[in-house]
Amino acid sequence: MASDENDFGFIKNKKDWDNFLKKEKLKDYSKIPVKRAHVNGWVKFAFVFLRIYIVIMLALIVLGFLNII
Amino acid sequence: MEEVLGAQPDEPFDINEELDKLPVEIRLRAIDRLKVARLRHRKGLFTKILLIIALLGPGILVMVADNDAGGVITYAQTGSIFGLGFFIPLMVLMVPTAYLVQSMTVRLAAVTRRGHAEMIWKRYGAFWGAFSLGDLVIANSLTLVTEFIGITFGMSIFGVGPYRAVFIGIAFISTVMLTLRYHKWERASLLIAFFNMIFIPLVFFAHPDWSLVAKSFLTWHINGGISTLFIYVLLANIGTTIAPWMLFFQQSSEVDKGTVPEDIGAGKRDTFVGAVIMATVAICIIVLTGTLVFSTGHVGSTTSTTSYDIAFILSTISKKIGTVPVELFALGLIDAGIIAAIALTASTSWAVGEAFNWPKSINLPFLEGRKFYIPGIISMFVAAGIVLLPNVPLGFLNITVQVIASIFMPAALLFLLLLVNDKEVMGKRVNTKWENAAIITIMVVLVTMSSLYGLSLVFPHMF
Repeated sequence: MASDENDFGFIKNKKDWDNFLKKEKLKDYSKIPVKRAHVNGWVKFAFVFLRIYIVIMLALIVLGFLNII
Repeated sequence: MEEVLGAQPDEPFDINEELDKLPVEIRLRAIDRLKVARLRHRKGLFTKILLIIALLGPGILVMVADNDAGGVITYAQTGSIFGLGFFIPLMVLMVPTAYLVQSMTVRLAAVTRRGHAEMIWKRYGAFWGAFSLGDLVIANSLTLVTEFIGITFGMSIFGVGPYRAVFIGIAFISTVMLTLRYHKWERASLLIAFFNMIFIPLVFFAHPDWSLVAKSFLTWHINGGISTLFIYVLLANIGTTIAPWMLFFQQSSEVDKGTVPEDIGAGKRDTFVGAVIMATVAICIIVLTGTLVFSTGHVGSTTSTTSYDIAFILSTISKKIGTVPVELFALGLIDAGIIAAIALTASTSWAVGEAFNWPKSINLPFLEGRKFYIPGIISMFVAAGIVLLPNVPLGFLNITVQVIASIFMPAALLFLLLLVNDKEVMGKRVNTKWENAAIITIMVVLVTMSSLYGLSLVFPHMF
């Protein structure tokens, strides 16, 4: 038994139930693979910018922390 | 053909049998969703109100949890240093900003049914996935330290020692996470979040000059003018209001709640209500200390927020209006620490589970979902342990949290922008041009601000 409140009268049969599961997206998504995105155009440029930003920030912060310590 | 093969309407059908066929986390979610669907099928005003309440949750939780112990202290210092002026309308401006950013996670969750960490990992690869996860887990763990500082400080007002305070905090947060399944966890968390609003009645104890509050919206006056301290406090307030962990938390929470495209409107309302509560609480704290503490200080003579630590602020409030408001403030601080710790612990568990494709739902009983619960619980114990260490450099830790967030912020916002514009993932629910214009503007401002803030923390004299 999974539910004490079994008065879900709007689900009358298996077809209603299957429709409900589909509409509510009630499935195990960990078994459904996700396709890798194609990275090109401005996204590629954004990723390059992001890597540069991270490297610069990390370098500056290491320098800053060395000053604090 | 479908009718011939499918079940006939009069064929015996037992919904409980069907529910029992589902894995436990999906079964519990299905029951929650059946209750929502039942409310949708019924008519009447009372039922509509119940439906609205049922669909509230992640948006309010993320926004209230953002008013965490560190946030409460930041707002209190802001009011103490700058009084009633610029920061009050700024907080109102943060409502649409936080709403726009966070509401996109509702759409992402409803359409993809996957968390933010999982989407980054699977769509953009292990490098960015690991980078995001590493940043998030470190930032969450260190932020948890600040929450336990808030909890222990708040409890010290009531004479509770640090060891007992930490034990109470751990016991409470673990009980909520390990014994309640998603629906009850969410309702319990909302109840705890409700007490965050204790700061709203508290402001009336101070008898503030409301005409000055109203005037601040017209003038955006900065007491003491633009200074190094003003820029520092401005960056701290913006950094406090929007943080990377919020994106991860809300998207995962919406997934666990079972949000589907039909609920996007309700999810946005939930987020908006949360943003309004967040800003109202922040404004009340600023008005409270802006009325009671600001007049005792001289903004021109202070160069750092350390002159206005929380102990000084509370003792000033106590001298002026007695101990009851201070005790209420302390209760608010404890509550802020607890609700944020609940959210951060869950956020860590969800993100690790999503990244490694482990079970990832608060609907899982502890034994079945121990892989899911353990990362969050470990991060909580580590944070609590750090707070109890003698001579631990808490100020240094706080700086590290903010610095990590500042490095992480551009990446988090970029991935949000990429995912909500990803047609393969979002289909027709990609961002509109206006939404993109708004999010890019917010991104530029936030990235600039958070980078400057991160750097100012390690280079204190850069401005």
